[in-house]
Amino acid sequence: MPSNRSFAVVGTCGLLLVVSLLVDSPLRADSVSELEPAPEGVDARAVALRAENVLRSDQTFMEAEMIIKSPRLTAPRRVAFQSWDDRAEKRSFIRILEPPKDAGAAFLKLHPNLWSYVPRVERTLRIPPSMMLQPWMGSDFTNDDLVNESSDIDDYDHALLGVDSHPGVEGLRAYVVEYVPHEEAPVVWGKILGWIETEHGTPLRQEFYDEDGEKIRTIHFDDIRVTGGRHVPHVWTVTPHEKEGHATTIRIREFRFDADFDEQIFTTRNLKQR
Amino acid sequence: MFLEFRLAWRNVWRNPRRSGLTIAATVFAVVLIVLSVGMAAGVHEKMIEDAVRLRSGHVLVAGEGYLDHRTLEQFVRFDAELEQRIRDTPGVRGYAPRVMSFALLSKGQTTSSVALFGIDPRLEGSVSTLSGRVNAGSFIEAGGHRQIVIGERLAAKLSARIGDSLLLYSVAYSLETAYELFSVAGVMRLSDATLDGGLAVISLTDAQEFFVYGDRVSEVAILTDDADRAEAVRSALTDALHGTSVEVSTWDELMPELVEVILVDDAGMYLMVVIVVIVVGFGILNTILMAVLERRREFGVVLALGLRPAAIFRVVYLESILLAQVGLALGLAISLPLLLYLQATPIPVADEMAGVMELFGAEPVLTFKLKPLNPIGSTLTVIALAVIAAFYPAVKASRGRPVDALRSV
Repeated sequence: MPSNRSFAVVGTCGLLLVVSLLVDSPLRADSVSELEPAPEGVDARAVALRAENVLRSDQTFMEAEMIIKSPRLTAPRRVAFQSWDDRAEKRSFIRILEPPKDAGAAFLKLHPNLWSYVPRVERTLRIPPSMMLQPWMGSDFTNDDLVNESSDIDDYDHALLGVDSHPGVEGLRAYVVEYVPHEEAPVVWGKILGWIETEHGTPLRQEFYDEDGEKIRTIHFDDIRVTGGRHVPHVWTVTPHEKEGHATTIRIREFRFDADFDEQIFTTRNLKQR
Repeated sequence: MFLEFRLAWRNVWRNPRRSGLTIAATVFAVVLIVLSVGMAAGVHEKMIEDAVRLRSGHVLVAGEGYLDHRTLEQFVRFDAELEQRIRDTPGVRGYAPRVMSFALLSKGQTTSSVALFGIDPRLEGSVSTLSGRVNAGSFIEAGGHRQIVIGERLAAKLSARIGDSLLLYSVAYSLETAYELFSVAGVMRLSDATLDGGLAVISLTDAQEFFVYGDRVSEVAILTDDADRAEAVRSALTDALHGTSVEVSTWDELMPELVEVILVDDAGMYLMVVIVVIVVGFGILNTILMAVLERRREFGVVLALGLRPAAIFRVVYLESILLAQVGLALGLAISLPLLLYLQATPIPVADEMAGVMELFGAEPVLTFKLKPLNPIGSTLTVIALAVIAAFYPAVKASRGRPVDALRSV
């Protein structure tokens, strides 16, 4: 990014910050009211990229458990899965391990298609792109959250709003970055606010707003552990704001960064293997 | 009073041509009012009937918030008790429980998102005409298992034929992934392109199993004896279901755009009726005024002979009302049988009007309907007209001074 543009971005941020301090809007009040100005020379996009690189490498494997809470359910629903994320090729593969009823179900994303395999009837169906923002496996995460169809870096413009000295985790400070999606980006959000830890680039929190500036959901990142030199959050919790009693937590059992995946993983044939 | 009546009756026939023209104008007004009001009533009733038969019913019982959200989270428990309550409500002609949600329907490489209706094949026909829209294969059969009926455009999109097995995929109420193979039983043709390209129908029991929904349904659509009874059925059901988290709505709340079309149409019709009534009113005024002016001398004489001004006032008024009554009687005698005939034989329409009607799922015919309010309203309008129009001439006639009157020609 050319330096004069980043200067303009920082300038805009400063202005936004002043405005946010003056205007007592509810949105600003609970999110970005007590920010310190960002230090000189910090580039918003670089901060966002660092956060992205903490959660994802070019090839990332993870095994995780998802716990879905809903007023509909008497007991939370648990789904265990493994995921292979190939960022460079924009493809990913997910296999469901538990519960037994869904075990063997699998998802394959080969840009721009998403395939879903359903074991009991042994069929594969193509999920249309319009379903990318629909709930994944009945959770509060979307299909897009899991298969990373949109990119936090390429699909958004980034602006640094400041530094939050109390991001919710004791002793940590976080940059607050505003992500505004490009016109043609495959997302529905009006903007995203991201709290990114200043020292290690760990994402701590993300708030998702619709086009009217209404907060739709928040993702909290907790249980930060050092894995392969990264400070990685191992518990991700999404809370939708409109839906009372709903929440989904993903607890990562295993992370493997910079993996070397077999080409065979990302094939429709692999969907049917158990 | 008898004297005044005799005077008035004689005066009506003093100039038969003039009176005849006035009566003709009144007849014309009555026929026009009765037929326009009858046509509006008929067309609107048909529009409502066709629209409610397409889907919503006159009254809709649904879970609280269903109309705003339309997800599986808003539901009604359709148990024997609710069914009995609906059946016991006077004015209910038919009812149909339905599960409605969204799903993906897939064949081979093609997937389409669909609005999924789970319907009870034994009850659906008592409310909607859905089953009659099947033009290939058959509708969902009672007791059939995992059958699906889809719109024609949807079938083309999926290149699905009768007997093909399609994968239905969605999220169950239990938040599990719901998926099942369904066999195409029939293809239906729907005039609404969106529905035709995106509606899939399965049986209620299959839908409840598919969505792990128990005895829940999204809505119960109710057809009443006629649209005017919807409100009564709604309040009866609201009372019966008091204390449950159920909302009962009527067709006018479900289809506000239809209500608007009817309102605009009615406003246009009444504007025309009012203009005609005013024109005819001036016609009557003109006739009576002329009749009064040419009889100034005569009124002067009877006043001089001792007839009281109030009696003259009554004579003139009676004339006007007699004219109006004859016109009204003739008008009703012509228009009512005509309206009844048209009610029995609707007129087909073409072009623009047909387009508007089809937009609301209505059959493009002009229907007529005689409601009791129509002849009553017309009668009152014409009498009011005669009363208002005769006021000025009657006052003028009764206020004349005998001396002036006798001096004039």
